Amino acid sequence: MQRRYWAFQPVRQTPPPAVKSAGWVVNPIDAFIEHALEEKGLRASPEADRITLLRRVSFDLTGLPPTPDEVAAFLADKSPNAYEKVVDRLLASPRYGERWGRHWLDLARYAESEGFKSDETRPNAWRYRDYVINAFNSNKPYDRFVKEQIAGDELWPNDPWAQVATGFSRQYPDESNARNLMQRRQEILNDITDTVGATFLAMTYGCARCHDHKFDPILQADYYRLQAFFANTAADDQIPMVSPAEVAAWKAKRAVWEEKTKDIRAQMDALLAPKKAALAKENFDKFPPEIQAAVTKDPAARTPYEWQMYAKAKPYFEFDDETTAKSLKGADRDKYKELTAQLAAFSSIDPGPLPVGIGMRDLNDKAPATHILNVGAYDAPKEEVQPGFLTIVDPNDPKIVPPAGLNSTGRRTALANWLASPDNPLTARVFVNRLWHYHFGQGIAPSPSDFGLMGGRPTNPELLDWLAADFVKSGWDVKRMQKMMVMSAAYRQSSAFNAEAAKQDPDNRLLWRFPRQRLEGEEIRDAALYVSGLLNDKMSGPSVFPQLPAGTAKPRGGWTVSSPEEQDRRSIYIFVRRNARYPMLEQFDMPDTHESCGRRNQTITAPQAMSLLNDTVTLEWAQAFAGRVVREAGPDPNAEIERAWVLAFGRKPDGFEKDTVQTFFAKQKQVIADEAANRKLALPTTLPPGTDTSQAAALVDFCQMLMNSNEFVYVN
Amino acid sequence: MSHKRLPYSRRDFLMNAGSGLGAIALSSMMAADGLVPRAAGATLPDPLAPKPPHFKPTAKSVIWCFMEGGPSHLDTFDPKPELVRLAGQPMPASFGHPITAMGTGNNTLMPSKRTFKQFGQSGIWVSDWYPEIAKHVDEMTVFQACWADGLNHVGSVCQMNTCSILAGRPALGSWVMYGLGSANENLPTFVVLTDAGEVIGGPKNWSSGFLPATYQGTLFRNTGAPILDLIPPDAIGNRQQRGRLDLLKTLNQHFDADKQDDSDLDARINSYELAYRMQAAGPEAVDLTKETEETKKLYGMDDEATARYGTNCLLARRLVERGVRFVELYCGSGSGWDAHTDIEGNHSKWCKVSDKPIAGLLTDLKARGLLDSTLVVWGGEFGRTPFNEKGDGRDHNPWGFTIWMAGGGVKPGQVLGKTDEIGLRGVEKRAHVTDIHATVLQAMGLDHKRVTYLHNGRSERPTVVTGEVIKEAFA
Repeated sequence: MQRRYWAFQPVRQTPPPAVKSAGWVVNPIDAFIEHALEEKGLRASPEADRITLLRRVSFDLTGLPPTPDEVAAFLADKSPNAYEKVVDRLLASPRYGERWGRHWLDLARYAESEGFKSDETRPNAWRYRDYVINAFNSNKPYDRFVKEQIAGDELWPNDPWAQVATGFSRQYPDESNARNLMQRRQEILNDITDTVGATFLAMTYGCARCHDHKFDPILQADYYRLQAFFANTAADDQIPMVSPAEVAAWKAKRAVWEEKTKDIRAQMDALLAPKKAALAKENFDKFPPEIQAAVTKDPAARTPYEWQMYAKAKPYFEFDDETTAKSLKGADRDKYKELTAQLAAFSSIDPGPLPVGIGMRDLNDKAPATHILNVGAYDAPKEEVQPGFLTIVDPNDPKIVPPAGLNSTGRRTALANWLASPDNPLTARVFVNRLWHYHFGQGIAPSPSDFGLMGGRPTNPELLDWLAADFVKSGWDVKRMQKMMVMSAAYRQSSAFNAEAAKQDPDNRLLWRFPRQRLEGEEIRDAALYVSGLLNDKMSGPSVFPQLPAGTAKPRGGWTVSSPEEQDRRSIYIFVRRNARYPMLEQFDMPDTHESCGRRNQTITAPQAMSLLNDTVTLEWAQAFAGRVVREAGPDPNAEIERAWVLAFGRKPDGFEKDTVQTFFAKQKQVIADEAANRKLALPTTLPPGTDTSQAAALVDFCQMLMNSNEFVYVN
Repeated sequence: MSHKRLPYSRRDFLMNAGSGLGAIALSSMMAADGLVPRAAGATLPDPLAPKPPHFKPTAKSVIWCFMEGGPSHLDTFDPKPELVRLAGQPMPASFGHPITAMGTGNNTLMPSKRTFKQFGQSGIWVSDWYPEIAKHVDEMTVFQACWADGLNHVGSVCQMNTCSILAGRPALGSWVMYGLGSANENLPTFVVLTDAGEVIGGPKNWSSGFLPATYQGTLFRNTGAPILDLIPPDAIGNRQQRGRLDLLKTLNQHFDADKQDDSDLDARINSYELAYRMQAAGPEAVDLTKETEETKKLYGMDDEATARYGTNCLLARRLVERGVRFVELYCGSGSGWDAHTDIEGNHSKWCKVSDKPIAGLLTDLKARGLLDSTLVVWGGEFGRTPFNEKGDGRDHNPWGFTIWMAGGGVKPGQVLGKTDEIGLRGVEKRAHVTDIHATVLQAMGLDHKRVTYLHNGRSERPTVVTGEVIKEAFA
């Protein structure tokens, strides 16, 4: 497979084909889809009804269902562009970035802890999550988005958010207790190489770590050439999140505080110094000789590789005062306590810590050499390689210029420019295919993160190319592309089954209907909170820790449950501990954060049912949902049923459903009354005086079953 | 991987389930009109209802101890004195040039550092890495010439589970569930337990593939409670819970009535029914507090090194005792056994992790009279190469490696098949993954050629298009 392979061809935009049923065509997407269907003698499905469509596009663009008012407004809007207005409203909603940011975080293997055994928290990792949400909400052009994540520090050194964007590379799992820093560095570089290859290029570079790729034309050298762009990077966990002027102001304040507390702090330091020295020696002694040499060497004589080792080793010699102070004994401890109290008297003039973010930067302007490694082993170097692109796509050497005024190599700038170049055959194709995958449930190329031979061929390559070219021409305008996709007639089709079409195209690859999709775990949780009226729509900031189900092993690294209001924030704000995903989201296929994920699993399991059925948290949601129904519709059971239905599904119940629920109420009320002895019933959060508690508990049951139903968790 | 949206599967399901296995005549008849209409609220046949086997089974359950990452046969069950003689030399030209995952085919041969001894009446060789398991050789059939098609972990783990290196086919446990239904409707029929990281390739390894989604395996958690939220909060009474679920089922069936094509929707209904039944039976099944200290010790639960896998092995015994048909116990999940370097360090760790727990499992099953009806399988996705990798490791070897089975009707104390003098390839009585699967199905009373499912116009079977039962495996 070679140069002729589709994914490496320049993107070629052919005009949309002529089709017989041109009346169906809303935009060029439809011409390509219809053409492919017509070739097989198939027809697209008719448009879905308005409520289905509104529910579909609302979940798709914002991860939340439409409110009853939004449904009513859409049904009442007879203007020809009623649907377009909805799409524009959803794309402009801040909820949009929270939904689409989540997709990107899957690709970025985003987590807020180190992984490995101890899984320590990475403070400030959440700023990258906020960056991603804001990037989608502000419709940042994709080429800019790519460049910022690869080399924001070099390209926009004065923009703190562009620095935080480099957190994309900073998301690697890391063995922070490792003693062999050479290996640790290599593993981080491997992770970055794999992730960059999969996310931006949909190439499974990982295979080429040890050998030329078996199926795709990725040479082992290509792997290390890509890696070489990152050879001089190191974590920067102290990126100031305020302007240089504010930093200066902070420094001035800090200087005053430092001056006034100089004596106190000197005394404190003197108490801690021997402890710290002992700890530092202990850590130093555990390092292999190469690392020890890098640490003790005269800085002027350190090689670039030794600088790398030095930067990695440094944190092993830095100890937090508070923790160290715990080891003080007797008089020293008393003295330290007294000094702490004295220091506290100055807290009113202490500006506190600067808000910081985490990212990656080059250590200096000289990168250590990168070698091809024998079977990927850090200590088995073969020939040296220079930074370079995928040979089959672009064999030329990159032009690398160290950025003026910065102590950085400029390597990543060269990579960023190549990735974000209109001529790169992969970047735009990969991204529009990802958008398509999320909108339609399956990509035009079926494996969004593997455009190689094993990933399968695109079903409609002309469409993919047309979209990619259009995307680049539009200035990599993400929302515009998404609008085109969701405005298409193809997207608006009904999901109803068609036996004839299914015979020809059983997997619906040609899109003769809209594929029904199960909501992702985050959507299920957010939607349940939303219809219950509990959802706290506060954006950004440190992540939250919802209550864990009973029996969950205590996550290493900690999990201190947040306040009730904070717990009810959207799922994207739930703390992502690498080794312990929030159980409900994990059950519903939230991906492992140890590697980039371009396509989630969709399992159906009993533990999922248990989560929605038996968890105390979901019962609390149901109580709130029932309380809301009581407030908005009660006390007439018929009105309650209707209100609950509209909140949960956007539609009114039919006769069968109403009867079913009425019968349920009558029977369940009795069952609850029979079983009520010694039991504290779960009641709606709002309960008018004099309400029959058994009836009220049955209402909670009903509301919870709506949130468990297939109609709730599937989008037609 | 995708096992959603299988437009034909519910129809296929009705055809396949409607008259037991291989209902080809019926299916072709019904295929003619495209789909089977279903009245609102009508109930489907229970996909987990017990079904008769094709013939008398020798095993009721399978416990598959999956040493993930590829354990070295050359350092455990397949001693090769010839490697000592050829140590440090390249492979003799007669062996050709195998293409390996890491391109190590020209590296020199590396003998095992282990000491092998013969054990039991049968005199089967086992290395000193497996002292406890060695005591059970007289219960085993050792397949020494297994082979597979994949070179890398993703494909090979997938094949060991599904017979295909490409994702999308049902796992063996799913076929067993489909073929036999459930023997205890209160527990999942196919359970997966891991002990470390995520299995390479994840849920596709216990996916139902093109079978209805109901047949997928259930993954237990590997820290804390094996199943969370097993019982409802105190506020919900048992009859109340049943009432809730009846409402849910009615509403779901009403919603699904015009979506005959989508087996996921049915699977979701079934998942709630299973959840409800597990509420009663599950806590007891996974409650290890009732086990004696002696039993826990037997499984190595008193030692930190063996506690995790020992717990899983004990859970497996409790599950098969209660009718669970297929339990998969990953050891070193996340490619733990993948010893490209330092095989001594790597394997001494994982052998220790698995030795006592698996031996304890065999002892315990036997003591309880369960070994006769429980087929225990040990193996990885492949073995390892006789030539070194990086001087002290071994590369992947799918051409010749060991799997053993014990209990469940297999003939005790025999070795079947043989690898060449250096343990590179199987040379006698080779057993492909599909043969192994056919044999496991045979033990469960299923003819692998007759467990079929119509998918996209093709009558699919567990072993794809190959696979023969290894008849000599049975007593």
